[in-house]
Amino acid sequence: MEKRNEHIIVTEKLKKVYSDGGVPVPAVDGIDLTITQGEFSAIVGPSGSGKTTLLNIISGLDSPTEGKVWLNGNLISSMSGNELSDFRRDNIGFIFQAYNLIPVLSVEENIEYIMLLQGVPKEQRRQRVERILEDVGLTGFEDRMPLQLSGGQQQRVAIARAMVSRPALILADEPTANLDSKTGAELLDMMRKLNQDSGITFVFSTHDKMIMERARRLIIVKDVKIVGDENRE
Amino acid sequence: MLNIWMFIKLAWRNILRNKRRTFIASTAIGIGLASLIFTDALWIGMENNMVESITSSFLGEGQIHRQGFRSTHEVELTINNLDKLVSDLEQEDIVEHLTLRTTSFGMISSPANFSSINMVGIYPPTEKHISQIDDVITEGNYFEGDDPHDIVIGNKLADVLEVNIGDRVVMTVAQAYTGDLSQEMFRVSGIFHFNVTEMDKGMAFIRLDKAQKMLGINHQVHEIAIKFINHEYGRDKQLPFWDKYSKNGNEAVSWAVILPQIEAVFSMSNFSIFIIGLILFAIVSLVIVNTLFMSLRERMFEFGVLRALGTRPFVLARMILFEAGALAIISIGLGTVFGFLVTYITIKTGIDYTGIEFVGVTFRHLLYPVLQVKQFIIYPIWVFILTTLVGLYPALYAAKMSPANAMRKSL
Repeated sequence: MEKRNEHIIVTEKLKKVYSDGGVPVPAVDGIDLTITQGEFSAIVGPSGSGKTTLLNIISGLDSPTEGKVWLNGNLISSMSGNELSDFRRDNIGFIFQAYNLIPVLSVEENIEYIMLLQGVPKEQRRQRVERILEDVGLTGFEDRMPLQLSGGQQQRVAIARAMVSRPALILADEPTANLDSKTGAELLDMMRKLNQDSGITFVFSTHDKMIMERARRLIIVKDVKIVGDENRE
Repeated sequence: MLNIWMFIKLAWRNILRNKRRTFIASTAIGIGLASLIFTDALWIGMENNMVESITSSFLGEGQIHRQGFRSTHEVELTINNLDKLVSDLEQEDIVEHLTLRTTSFGMISSPANFSSINMVGIYPPTEKHISQIDDVITEGNYFEGDDPHDIVIGNKLADVLEVNIGDRVVMTVAQAYTGDLSQEMFRVSGIFHFNVTEMDKGMAFIRLDKAQKMLGINHQVHEIAIKFINHEYGRDKQLPFWDKYSKNGNEAVSWAVILPQIEAVFSMSNFSIFIIGLILFAIVSLVIVNTLFMSLRERMFEFGVLRALGTRPFVLARMILFEAGALAIISIGLGTVFGFLVTYITIKTGIDYTGIEFVGVTFRHLLYPVLQVKQFIIYPIWVFILTTLVGLYPALYAAKMSPANAMRKSL
């Protein structure tokens, strides 16, 4: 239990099996993983290897068929729907492949959405939005709608949204997949800097070389199992 | 927790994301609401028209008789304390007009034929305020002059008797108490056409004093017909007026009591509107569910993201319910405007059902729908509640879905 408290993520014998027309299809098989606070890690592997499923289970977006997940010392695999929602809201930031901003909300509204869920007072919300937009280089874009932004700008907003609630962990699923290499590299460098400055743990799911080059730890997944763990610190 | 303004903001912006779909859906719902408003206005207009036709053609809005007279029509059953009663009625604020009548069965004959009829003794100057006999005279006149032998009959009765204006007919009635037959010769002075067979073929009107003399009832009468200052009083069975004048052996009744079948028809029509409403709303419900589900399917990944960000399932369901509410509000706006316009235009033009008989009542005037404030309150509230209730299904569907599934389904 003590060990679990030291690590931000601990999984124990994680297993996830989907049913495809009655045929069981394993997506994650017996994964034991620990990730320490402040890491800048990447789960890498080819398509269909189980990276996204693992990330979904770690974040409580999906439930495991077997096994346990501890996040920040909390056993999330036994939480109810509402408890999980509240836990994600307060502890995890998400960055998705397709930016996934709420298209009917402005940049400012997208970023402050989580703070609204958290009940952060208006003035504090405004200040934090201002600061995070400055961090991601989007000062002055507050009132723009997502469709008025480029892909790179949208992903910056998604990063700002993920960071603004000051989570302990940011999970990023193929965050550079829809970006050109220059924009992707810029964003990765920005995330690395945020990781170093704030100590927030970043875990990527990717098969992008740029991320692999920058990650401090590579967790290699193949055929729904971890087959390698490379620490580059 | 999201505040109400955030829900409203999200709902409006989401509902306006696909303007064409929202317009089509809200128009469909709006047409349903407009149909209800118009149907209700039309039924009220039809009821008013029927009541007007019933009460103003001859019946009056209320009547006073001796108890038992309505079921037996015995000539002896004349109204008690007539003078005091008439004096009291004349003092009543709600009574606009009243007239006295005798009514008895009799036989009318001409050289060509004979027929059993209802002989009604009337006082022409007051009768014309209650009934429309004077308005429907097609030949001759309505008791002009003071000839006591004038008789006004219906056109169908004139056909049966093969008589015209100026021809002579003989009325035979049984006198009160003795049962002796009393006969008088009359000259046809007027022929009316109510377009109600029962009246056109079965009624003959003579002067009141002549009828009293023939029936041997001195100055007594069988019926006082009343018109109120507001026709709604005639339909109100709880009006204290009825109890007040139902004493000393007399009974005061509204037209709704005299013709209960009409009230039954009105109740049935209200039930019909309810059924029409249910059918319309069942169709509308499908439109709402379809619209919300289409919108939901398109945004499945977005819902997954919202859940991932920490939105509770119930909060997500609430967002979708607010969207259903926003759709309802747009639909209500369109429906009330559309319903008002269609009804208003029809009010200006009227619908011509004149001459058509419905449950024994012939429409005598153009039919005008009646707009009422309640149509723009109750039915829109129905639409709002129903839309929101129907929205529960897609809302719960989205709330129950796991975030990972929601994101997978969108791919």
